[in-house]
Amino acid sequence: MEIINWKGIAESLLFAAGDEGLSLKQIAHVLEVEELQAREIMDSLIEDYSNSSRGIMVVELAGTFQLVTKKEFSAYLKKLVESPSSASLSQAALETLAIIAYRQPITRTEIEEIRGVKTERPLQTLSAKALIKEVGRAEGTGRAYLYGTTKEFLDYFGLKSIEELPPLPDKISEEEDSFQEEADLFFEKFQELDS
Amino acid sequence: MQYDHYNVKIDAFEGPLDLLLHLINRLEIDIYDIPVSEITEQYLIYIHTMKELQLDVASEYLVMAATLLAIKSKMLLPKHDEEELEDEFGMEMEEDPRDELVERLIEYRKYKEAAEELKEREQDRSLMYTKPPADLSEYVNDSQQEKADLNVSLYDMLGALQKLLRRKKLQRPLSAKVARQEIPIEKRMSEIVDQLRNFKGRKKFTDLFPISDREHIVVTFLAVLELIKRKEILVEQDRNFSDIFVASMEGEK
Repeated sequence: MEIINWKGIAESLLFAAGDEGLSLKQIAHVLEVEELQAREIMDSLIEDYSNSSRGIMVVELAGTFQLVTKKEFSAYLKKLVESPSSASLSQAALETLAIIAYRQPITRTEIEEIRGVKTERPLQTLSAKALIKEVGRAEGTGRAYLYGTTKEFLDYFGLKSIEELPPLPDKISEEEDSFQEEADLFFEKFQELDS
Repeated sequence: MQYDHYNVKIDAFEGPLDLLLHLINRLEIDIYDIPVSEITEQYLIYIHTMKELQLDVASEYLVMAATLLAIKSKMLLPKHDEEELEDEFGMEMEEDPRDELVERLIEYRKYKEAAEELKEREQDRSLMYTKPPADLSEYVNDSQQEKADLNVSLYDMLGALQKLLRRKKLQRPLSAKVARQEIPIEKRMSEIVDQLRNFKGRKKFTDLFPISDREHIVVTFLAVLELIKRKEILVEQDRNFSDIFVASMEGEK
């Protein structure tokens, strides 16, 4: 009986896929195994990498598995790059993105009501970086665009899925917070889609 | 000495709500019991300072100043009986003129904190590097070339561009001369069309970006979008891998 080196195969697939990553479904499909078994193979591979002195590890990002360099070597990788200034998002863009992440789908007007300032420019920046996209039109007059986050958003912030976002810091104790319920509903819906 | 062109832009605050939160923190005030007179005074001092520095005070700041003054004057008025409201629990509550503002401040503060969290994650994620997918096209046989019903959206294109820019960052040479030259989009468009016609097949989207120069990348991207719009090139995406391919529309005249 031949023993198949599943982990080795999966590893080679991830290497080829690069930053596109591979979903569990894709891996299971190529290996011709059930997703449950693919999950076990991947978990074991993740384990192997984290216990070794190698410079690479497997992470789950935006619903895909990717090979990435280990964080502790980032200083050396930066030396490869001419200008190691990692361009990060502005405060305005981050606030806008936080609101969209937790309240999606949401219109520009609703975002501006929360922030108390005009938000056109941050929205343009975020769209250009493919971190948000228009996900539809609101009901009612004007049919304003509704914004939501993208897969790129999950990848950019190192998230497996939208549920991995920590719950909103909630300091409102006595008031009943209907938004919290909405958010719960929203995440439940997401989980249904995922499973 | 002329200071006319010397514009300072204070980005310290993200707007009036941000400024108010800052004042509340600094004065160590209970957000649920804001001393309106004090906070209004402090707020106006800040606005005046901005004006003295000849900064553009955004209109939102002025609206908030007016709001604060309105709340302040309402607090001074004697209460009317008919202003008592019933909330959804049927309990009688007196309306506090500050309520709405407090609610907005608390709501905004939640997202401000969430933004901090995102910032940390962004930093953490930037420590991990990846590589572009390997080019496996030589193993593709014709039967696999069949495409799914395509619908490459602008967002797919933008996503592809984002990945490209991220990769180009790593491929940049350690030293580079900066030579600024404006490339007209029209010129780049005809270059791309020629390139694809001569190629007689489809090229990877990422192969259209030979030069790791931001300006060149952006111009190329705009040229590609324009060509798609004019239906001079075809964009395709395969089922399995989300790499985007482009090909020339061999004109059926």
